[in-house]
Amino acid sequence: MTRERQPGQRRFSPASIGADVVLLAWFLFSLFPLIWLVLLSLKSESEQISTFFEFTPTLSNFATVLSDEGARLTSVNFTEALLTSVLNCVGAVLVSLVIGVPAAYAAGRWQYKGSGDVMFTILSFRFAPELMVIVPLFVIYNQLGLFDTNVGMIWVLQLVTMPLIVWILRSYFQDLPPELEQAALLDGYTRKRAFLMVALPLVRPGIAASALLAFIFAWNNYVFPLILTGSSHTPVTVAVTRFLGGGGQAFYSLTAAAAIIAALPPLLVALSIQRYLVRGLSFGAVKA
Amino acid sequence: MGSLSVRGLTARYGKTVALHGIDLDVVDGEFFVILGPSGAGKTTTLKSVAGLVDAVEGEVRIAGRDMTGVEPYARNVAMAFESYALYPQKTVEQNLASPLRSGRTGSWSVAEQSERIRQVTTTLGIEHLRGRFPRELSNGQRQRTALGRVLVRPADVYLLDEPLSHLDAKLRAAMRAELKQLGEMSRTTTLYVTHDYQEALALGDRVGVLRDGRLVQVGTPQQVWHEPADTFVARMFGQPEMNLFSADLTADLAAVPEGGTAARSRRGGITVGVPASVSGSLSGSVAGGAAGGSVLLGIRPRDLEVLTGPEPSDRLVLRGRVTLAERLGRLVELSVDVAGESVIAVTDDQRVREGDPVSLAVPWEQVHIFGGGAGLDTGNGAGTAAARLGSGAPVSPVVDVSAASGGDR
Amino acid sequence: MTAPARVRPDPDTGGRRSASGAGPAPVPAWRRGLRPYVLSLPAVLIIVGILYPFLLGAYYAFLNYAAVVPNPVFVGLRNFATVLSDPAFWSSVRTTLVYAVSATALETVLGVGIALLLSRSSLVGRIFERVLILPLMIAPVIAGVLWKLMFNPQFGVLNHVLGLGRTFDWLSESHALMSVVLVDLWIFTPFVAVLVLAGIRSLPREPFEASAVDGASWFYMFRRLMLPMMWPYILVAVIFRFMDSLKIFDHVYVLTAGGPGDATRTLQISAYQNSIINFNYSVGSTYMFLLWAIVFVTARYLVSVLGKAQRRAAGSEG
Repeated sequence: MTRERQPGQRRFSPASIGADVVLLAWFLFSLFPLIWLVLLSLKSESEQISTFFEFTPTLSNFATVLSDEGARLTSVNFTEALLTSVLNCVGAVLVSLVIGVPAAYAAGRWQYKGSGDVMFTILSFRFAPELMVIVPLFVIYNQLGLFDTNVGMIWVLQLVTMPLIVWILRSYFQDLPPELEQAALLDGYTRKRAFLMVALPLVRPGIAASALLAFIFAWNNYVFPLILTGSSHTPVTVAVTRFLGGGGQAFYSLTAAAAIIAALPPLLVALSIQRYLVRGLSFGAVKA
Repeated sequence: MGSLSVRGLTARYGKTVALHGIDLDVVDGEFFVILGPSGAGKTTTLKSVAGLVDAVEGEVRIAGRDMTGVEPYARNVAMAFESYALYPQKTVEQNLASPLRSGRTGSWSVAEQSERIRQVTTTLGIEHLRGRFPRELSNGQRQRTALGRVLVRPADVYLLDEPLSHLDAKLRAAMRAELKQLGEMSRTTTLYVTHDYQEALALGDRVGVLRDGRLVQVGTPQQVWHEPADTFVARMFGQPEMNLFSADLTADLAAVPEGGTAARSRRGGITVGVPASVSGSLSGSVAGGAAGGSVLLGIRPRDLEVLTGPEPSDRLVLRGRVTLAERLGRLVELSVDVAGESVIAVTDDQRVREGDPVSLAVPWEQVHIFGGGAGLDTGNGAGTAAARLGSGAPVSPVVDVSAASGGDR
Repeated sequence: MTAPARVRPDPDTGGRRSASGAGPAPVPAWRRGLRPYVLSLPAVLIIVGILYPFLLGAYYAFLNYAAVVPNPVFVGLRNFATVLSDPAFWSSVRTTLVYAVSATALETVLGVGIALLLSRSSLVGRIFERVLILPLMIAPVIAGVLWKLMFNPQFGVLNHVLGLGRTFDWLSESHALMSVVLVDLWIFTPFVAVLVLAGIRSLPREPFEASAVDGASWFYMFRRLMLPMMWPYILVAVIFRFMDSLKIFDHVYVLTAGGPGDATRTLQISAYQNSIINFNYSVGSTYMFLLWAIVFVTARYLVSVLGKAQRRAAGSEG
């Protein structure tokens, strides 16, 4: 039902024009803040609060945010935060893949006893209140020396990345016809080789989709690093808020620039997996 | 190079039992066809032999070796799946190379692999498709590729799961002929599964009829055709299906020189004499004991001949009126009302018209008698699980009465 | 097609017989049955590793753990008694529920509406559909930062553009809750819209075509055909949104830190303040325990509703 009219509709009726107006109103509401953010990020410091839409654009904010001088100025080392985010998120996704792919395969291919419980428990992590696990982790991490470390963050991010990867991939594995692997078995390949040769390549889109979506959610996570990291291993999400924080100077344009930089990677990733977004967002519940 | 022997094979999917203790012996090089309706357990049988079903009991021996617990890749068995199961991301060439590269079907140098693939694809007529992907092939081409993947490597047993079922009728007939040639060529023990009786008769050295997870009869095509074990088997072969009539077995009536008893259909029409040897075996399975009970008479439509001359004395003659004559090319399918029973006959006599009176004759040996279950009419889908016995052959033909007068002799 | 020379190689010449020649080694059934468990083992270990802090967190609710009490003892249900009789807790519950219900309801209506409008594939729809998902992909905390800038009374753009002068405070005590819900709408309506739109697009055409031939109006088709079939998709979106908004934290905290006063003090923010700011771990854990209980019960209920809706939708197509 994409490029054709729905049955029962007329072309340029007042209803259809009204519908378009409503749509435009939504997108105005939706996109305006983003556009304004971009504009704000292009304003120089002197103009950041004095004007609204008339100004001379400059890219200096971006440079400042990423530079050492900016770090001194705002006491936020943004470049380091960016690297931390990348490290944490890539690490978390990789760990989840290594552990989650076999588990998703086992749950998708065989309905073994307990698979339902395992899957349900994994799903419950998605809906569990984060603070419930953070408080004890705060205590445990301090004891184990994992506070304010990358390893600590990668571990805790499993709460975010693993449910996504396991649930989405399970639905992909369930869709695979078992006969392909059976054919490989009869060709003379062991189950492991049949899996690697036949099953894995066929769920590659699922792996890409779930891994990238997990990356997005790990990147956007705020509450875990807020509590479990200190000053040296903060990711961008926490770093951006620091721009607004302290008493004294307000760095609105810098904040805007930082926000844009922080928001860019997930946006770009999202645009590249648009096709698989729905299946991912609904954890495989919606296959459209 | 392998015989296949199956003992007490029972297979389960969750709670349902798909196979109930199958026993089968396939001789080395034999082309064995398993025939059955959908859901009978044909694919399950194949997959059990291949080792692809987890919950199995019983014994499978290939080339004399016990395969219990043996993984599929170690059984030296090749299978063509009904859905073809071609690797979508590999070309035809790569699909055929896959079994050769696994190391478990022999060691082949790259050149040898190419040569084998060339041979097989040429034989199957798909050589020009070697670089194509499965999604670019037609159904027939996919089927041949699946077959090619089976033929390209040596195996003790070939397992073919309904390879022709997704092809249109003409292609199916053509492939049947090709398969026969290929079968003779490769001389590998083959287990072939289908729901099409024509394939079974044309291709099989022997046929096994499978119903609800049980083998109902195993025999050569001749045997299952001429000596069906029960009405289910009888109705599986032949289109239109065998005519079946319920008949009462009574002690009195027709004097039959051999001293048997006469069977009379309830509606007072077809009467057949049953020799003592037959009725004796019948008594065990017929409700009502030795002197009575109901049986089923079976006559294949094509065994009935439209009489043009005088009535012969050495065949059963049925007189009736034609109610429907369907012309199907060279043949005519007649529905004849014989004393209230509808009899289907197939003949090439084009002169018969609807409404004509007609006499049909069938040799006594082709009148089947089945120990009947109570009151099963012809055309009933379930069929009776009755034992098949010999046909009656009294010396004096007992002839029915025409539809107009009804009644008996 | 004639058959050429034998296709199968003569075992004595080419193609050495399979390496499995010397009798294949059987794999006992129990070992095969073990496979799924072995594959899932690492995941199960991680689950256990994550469950441990969860259970520990639940356990804290039964202790008197705080920074001032480094060696806590078991106090039974005392924390629950304290918390459940604390008006601050109930205010938090109320705030959270108001937030969750209003946000979910508004987003559902808006999201379904947008999905329906986009499903018409008008020119406007096709142009903008690609950017529908943008607000959702931004970190909620960054969205919070963004809106905080916009909400600023003096130089935030909203007051300027909407002509509200320089004193209208979006985050005042009376407006704060509404404002954070507004931001929630901005971020998460696309989630509902994308899900429902995918559902609409996957609906079969025939019932609608048949209906149109019968002369049905769009409203009729919507109410009788589309809505029942869309229901499972809408419910999935509702479940996700409601569950998530019960534990909302990120953008609310950045915007208001729970204030002013108690205006936006949701349950998770309360827990955060108790545990991390006041170092009163046990009280915070009690809040979380209760929140988790609410989430759990609601989830069970909603999932069963979803199951029923899915069955009905399948039935209505049949």
